[in-house]
Amino acid sequence: MKKKLSTIFAVTGLLMFSNACTDLKEKVLDETLTAKLSEEETVNGLLAPTYALLPNLFQHTTYFALQEISTDEAILPYRGGTDWGDNGIYIALHGHNTTSTDPNVNNTWNQLVQSISRCITAIEGLKSATSPNTALYTAEARGMRAYYNMVMLDLFGIAFVKDDPGTTSKIIRGDEAVKYIESEFLAVEPVLQPKSVVGPGRLNQAAVWSLLARLNLNAAVYRNIYGATFDFKAEDMDKVIQYTDKVINSGQAKLSADYFAIFGNSNHTNEEIIFAVDQRAELNGHNRMAYFSISGDQFPLAEFPAANGTDGPGITSDFYQTWVQAYGAVDPSRDPRFYQQNMSIYSNAADTCVADADYKINRGILRGQQYGALRVNGAFLRCPDGKLKVGKLSYVTRNRADLPVSFSEMIDFTTAGSNYNTGYRVEKYEFSNKSNTGRNRGEADIVIARLADIYLMRAEAKLRKSNDAAGALADVNLVRASRTKTLAPPALTTMNLDLLFRERGFEFYWEMLRRPDMIRFGKYEGKWTEKTNTDVKKRIFPIPQTAIDGASNLPGYLKQNDGY
Amino acid sequence: MRNTSTLSVRTGIIRNCLMQVTAVCGLHAIAAAAIPVPEGQPRKHVETSMNKLQEVTLTGKVTTEGSSEGLPGVTVVISDVSGNNKQGATTNESGSFSFANLQTGQRYNLEFSYIGFEKQSLKDFLLTESNASSIVVKLKEAASNLSEVVVVGYGSATKKDITGSVKSLKSAEFNQGIINSPEQLLQGKVSGVNITSATGEPGGKTNITVRGPGGVRTGSTPLFVVDGMALDNSGTGGDTNPLNFLNPQDIESIDVLKDASATAIYGARGANGVILITTKKGKSGTAQVTYSGSLGISNVARPLDVLSGPEFLAEATKLGATITDGKANTDWQKEIFRTATTHNHNVSVGGGSDKMTYYASFGAQKQQGILKNSQQNRYTGRMNLSQKLFDDRVTLDFNLNATNTKNQRPNIQGAIGSALTINPTYAPYDANGQIAQYQDFTNPLFTLQQYKEELTTNRVLASISPSVKIIDGLIYKLNFGIDNSTATQDKQLLPSTIPAEIGRLENYGLRNTNRLIENYLTYNLNTKMHSLTALLGHSYQRIFIQSRNFSINKFPISDIEPIYNPGLGQDLSLALNQPGGFATINELQSFFGRASYGFKDRYLLTATLRIDGSSKFGSNNKYGSFPSFSAGWRISEEPFMKSSPFSELKLRAGWGSTGNQEIPSKITQARFTSVVSGTASYPLDGGTTYPAGTTYTRLANPNIQWEVSKQTDLGLDFGLFKGALSGEIDYFRKVSEKMLLEVIPADPVQPAGTFWTNVPDMQIINQGLELDLNYRNTLENGLRYSLGGNITFIKNRVEHSPYTVIPSGSAQGSGLTSATINGYINGEAIGSFYLKEFIGFDEKGISKFRDVDGNGIVNDADRVVAGTALPTRMYNFNGNVSFKGFDLSANFNGVAGNKVYDNTANSNFYKLKLSKGVNVTPEALESPEESVNNSAGVSTRYLKSGAYLRLNNLVLGYNLNTAKLGISRWVQTARISVTGQNLALWTKYNGYDPEVNNDRSIAGITSYGIDYLSYPKAKTVIFSINLGF
Repeated sequence: MKKKLSTIFAVTGLLMFSNACTDLKEKVLDETLTAKLSEEETVNGLLAPTYALLPNLFQHTTYFALQEISTDEAILPYRGGTDWGDNGIYIALHGHNTTSTDPNVNNTWNQLVQSISRCITAIEGLKSATSPNTALYTAEARGMRAYYNMVMLDLFGIAFVKDDPGTTSKIIRGDEAVKYIESEFLAVEPVLQPKSVVGPGRLNQAAVWSLLARLNLNAAVYRNIYGATFDFKAEDMDKVIQYTDKVINSGQAKLSADYFAIFGNSNHTNEEIIFAVDQRAELNGHNRMAYFSISGDQFPLAEFPAANGTDGPGITSDFYQTWVQAYGAVDPSRDPRFYQQNMSIYSNAADTCVADADYKINRGILRGQQYGALRVNGAFLRCPDGKLKVGKLSYVTRNRADLPVSFSEMIDFTTAGSNYNTGYRVEKYEFSNKSNTGRNRGEADIVIARLADIYLMRAEAKLRKSNDAAGALADVNLVRASRTKTLAPPALTTMNLDLLFRERGFEFYWEMLRRPDMIRFGKYEGKWTEKTNTDVKKRIFPIPQTAIDGASNLPGYLKQNDGY
Repeated sequence: MRNTSTLSVRTGIIRNCLMQVTAVCGLHAIAAAAIPVPEGQPRKHVETSMNKLQEVTLTGKVTTEGSSEGLPGVTVVISDVSGNNKQGATTNESGSFSFANLQTGQRYNLEFSYIGFEKQSLKDFLLTESNASSIVVKLKEAASNLSEVVVVGYGSATKKDITGSVKSLKSAEFNQGIINSPEQLLQGKVSGVNITSATGEPGGKTNITVRGPGGVRTGSTPLFVVDGMALDNSGTGGDTNPLNFLNPQDIESIDVLKDASATAIYGARGANGVILITTKKGKSGTAQVTYSGSLGISNVARPLDVLSGPEFLAEATKLGATITDGKANTDWQKEIFRTATTHNHNVSVGGGSDKMTYYASFGAQKQQGILKNSQQNRYTGRMNLSQKLFDDRVTLDFNLNATNTKNQRPNIQGAIGSALTINPTYAPYDANGQIAQYQDFTNPLFTLQQYKEELTTNRVLASISPSVKIIDGLIYKLNFGIDNSTATQDKQLLPSTIPAEIGRLENYGLRNTNRLIENYLTYNLNTKMHSLTALLGHSYQRIFIQSRNFSINKFPISDIEPIYNPGLGQDLSLALNQPGGFATINELQSFFGRASYGFKDRYLLTATLRIDGSSKFGSNNKYGSFPSFSAGWRISEEPFMKSSPFSELKLRAGWGSTGNQEIPSKITQARFTSVVSGTASYPLDGGTTYPAGTTYTRLANPNIQWEVSKQTDLGLDFGLFKGALSGEIDYFRKVSEKMLLEVIPADPVQPAGTFWTNVPDMQIINQGLELDLNYRNTLENGLRYSLGGNITFIKNRVEHSPYTVIPSGSAQGSGLTSATINGYINGEAIGSFYLKEFIGFDEKGISKFRDVDGNGIVNDADRVVAGTALPTRMYNFNGNVSFKGFDLSANFNGVAGNKVYDNTANSNFYKLKLSKGVNVTPEALESPEESVNNSAGVSTRYLKSGAYLRLNNLVLGYNLNTAKLGISRWVQTARISVTGQNLALWTKYNGYDPEVNNDRSIAGITSYGIDYLSYPKAKTVIFSINLGF
């Protein structure tokens, strides 16, 4: 009996035991390596990620901050001692004192290296694809890898050469990097499609020509990043002229008669845009370009009383003065690029009631007292006829109803200069109509390259190559004269590098071109509001400390940039 | 002569104890005890039976040994020899008891039990007229814990035979008060164990580390094993403590395995210590029914001292601020906090026969939080059953625990942050009694009204463990358990017109199923010279976790809560409502063995080996071996020690290796997902549908393996003066290696930015000294007292990290974004504060910071290590006095050597804030030289001492004389008590509480010691009654 029992229990135990045996092979339930995608889904699935991080890269705190707040175009003080302190990183960025632990530098770097990697993954994956789009998609992925490397070279002074995902990237700098990026663009150029086929959101023929022009224009800087002067070679300038000519002659883009339409919510179809980040409110769009600068007490949308600005950066008074000096006795708003008034209350104080559909805040550079929808306890006031009530804004949300939302020219890091209302603000991009919080759901495409830049690059190459002031002046005035929706800016009569630099500021302010422009024109070591650092080593940013630490097991592989 | 059978006693009313039973009774008992007989078996009495039957009253007296003073409050239970017709009584102030209407010539069994004393029984007492008042029982104080049974994992051992560092805590020693989860029962009670109950929220999380954190990531939590079932440490949904499913009143004992020689039996999960929880079991004999009920009244212990209305006006005016005077004087903290009540009811039944014992309980606790709208209701039911079969060769044990927890929480940080800063001259309600609305502030009452999170968790833990005695000494045991929890959480934001809010409902579902099958053999051999215990087993565990979440926006304003009708939502878009979720399976397979050998009861050796495999590890690293060795020498048993004052002196030494496999699943495999999301997809044409982007979610590391922790322990156990003074000293050194970390690859161009790896060479070293001391004494007059305490000195440091600094602890609050507070740096402790050093104000009253590198610019490069969040000293002391029916116990605990970062003050309390009409504490105004324009960046200015001493609990109890009250027929024992919880706190810290730890981790790197709008702790008074039937 006892023996039987033992046997029964032993057998039962063994059964349980065998039940429990396992090879410990991990079962993955929520991810796969073998998704059954159609050929089209497969290739689309490979190409889309190569572009997908662009909205993140073109954020207010990442690429925008690095390209603009480091220059005379934008400054972001510790607002009122309560906002945008961020451990001093914006103050450091403006004063060229950024450190390798700066989170925005790190975030920008991460978007770039990951995007480069996604391009490599796409190129590799497309090798076995049979879709008719394979060749085009491969060219786009390869071209985008070159583009991200070009941004990497511009910001950090290095580029990564990597074809086989299983190998370690080769890190290159200077001339080698310029040559590599150029050869990559040239390799894909014949395969790419015109903008009319793929749209401005993807790398197209005109886009790659634009980028080639930009690369060659800056090549002298990239080859000798810390140089006291740059050697703009004639052959480089010829290439700039060659590629800008190609864009202009291709007819793939046309100058926009309405300057601010280039930055409007429906700018995807604006003909001036050559290459842009295609933003969709329902997918990837952010509204940070429109949100960042305006006041937290500005509520630009009748539909969303929670959508506001944040009192971020303003323009420096130095930059403002370039407008003033250019226009002399005339107010700079004479220039249609400077300002667009959308609310009549600014000129007619009695217009205090606005239909919801007509309610739009002004665009361009905003100065002085701001008007807008009046918000009380989280809801907008209404006129008796149901229209939106607009009026003078004050800092209600900051518990300072006594302080008007009146932007001052003065902005700096002093207490007075750091108040919520200091600095003239920029509302270049239109505030997205779908942005319920003001932060996300952006609609406007973010411009990477547009035709005006092509003309101005050509003008610059003409000046730098042979001091062809007449040719340069013709290009600049062509762009000026094209803004015909309102009174176009007056034609200039002379042209030189300084005037061209000033013109680039007027045309491209806050379009993330200022830092390379200042370096190329030798202005980056100059002095402006709260910026005195003249160290040429600060032309490029530090490689993030985390990346340096991560590479510490390969001595000498990833070297920190000098001066950091 | 002693009857030395060991049994556990459940007194129900009086707290529970596991004691050795000795019967040393009065005249009669001595005669009776002459023939030792196994308990529970009837036997012949030596005395001849009496001739005449009549009713008499049996009286007797209980005293303590060495004193003639009667001992009041002793539970005396009388029954007939078959255990029926049970009656109970309690001794009165003079130690006497009585039972009326007993029959002479009948045989009775009597049992005497009292907390802190060895239980005694008087079996087969033949009542005669002459001996009806003859019983005098001398209760002996329970000897030192030498023979105490300690649960060691896959078995138990007596304390004297243990060679590792193990601390056993019985229910009588637990912390008292409102207890949410088992860790709180042992806070301060075990040296080397740091328990931080970081929040005063009902059901909130507790941080616990044994002998210091051994990892950088989150996952330094010890392994919890409940009745042999190893729990999964991941959460069970929401932000609540996953262990709050256990009813503290069901817990018999908690054993903490501290050193590697003890934890190695749990292999790859032992590195952070193991906590074994044993629930109560029934005892054969008559049924014991107990009821306990309590009412707790809680208030916020230390509200922050923000300015009152008049002070606010006066101070703001001094700063030249333009502020709105709302003409009221509102204490906003009073408005959002409340006097909270907690009801607790618990009924248990335990008992059984020879073959079968059972314990069943039902508990209900309704706990209000001191913040309005925060509440936790918990219902627990437990059934433990044990049945012996086939001549006791087979034992079947069943455990079943079912818990339903409902946790409700408001927007805690929103409400507290707003209450601390809102203008105190504003009134909370308008003239119509409605919640007032303000332009510049959100009324915290509105915040509380508009948002809630509701979490309902159902958790069932069931196990069956049959064991078979194959031959004498050899037992085979199967342990099969399942732990299943399902949780649903709703987060609801109501729509409103003012302020405009469209409303949102989020729903989260979590399922966690943990299945365990273990088979093991235990062999026991005991001879005069040798003792051997051997264990060999196999274990398989499978943990399945699934989470899903959905949301919907835009609800009409109505009295229907979105929770009850999500279909009312009108906006569902990919941008705002992308569903999410994940599912993982983790499997563990282990082979383990242990051998303990004792020679002459003096020389003890233990060796353990566990081979653990986990599906989380790569194929070339599937299995790891975790050995340990330890030895003990009971010096007190040596002949040369016979005349020493040491009743116990044991030297222990051990070394072992354990692992930590608490890393995310799937990291050995690169996988991709194909999804339409903002960061994976992109419009490839002008259309409005977007292709799914295929991206790698992570890099593979097929070589990943567990972290290894090697620990050396040297200990000394001692007992002096017959055990009156006892204690333990332990030195330990724990070195964690092969640190698992999510790192950035050398080549930054990778599909994912990081990958998991074992960082070579990096070490985290914890070393320290633990000291436990206990003393107890009884005075001639019957007053008994005990004093105890422990202290831990611990030092933690990171070594050989290839990283300059691993940042953690992201600061929160306006203007503080992107600043980090903690840093992991070589040579410094985990959780060190790495900050700019505040050195005062410049001539303009603006903050100055030390320019460490002297380059004229103060930035991140000028940060310094400014202290650690980990205490270097933890201590506890407690005292207990009892006299007549009364008992009083107090329990203090404290920490020292640590700092706390007051992020609440950093983001709210500075002069500039007041000048903007934001309320502050007087701390903000204490530097007259500070400019009203000075901003407050993250720096040592807000780093404060975190040392404290807390009167954790104070209990005053009285055991009623049920006989005297005439209720002893129905109620055998009755005890009333008042407990004060968190009655006093001594600290320099001026936030809500220095025991704080807001999770501000960055990329899974644990943050430490940060206080940001934490839920404050309560001061609670609890009135309890315990009845035994």
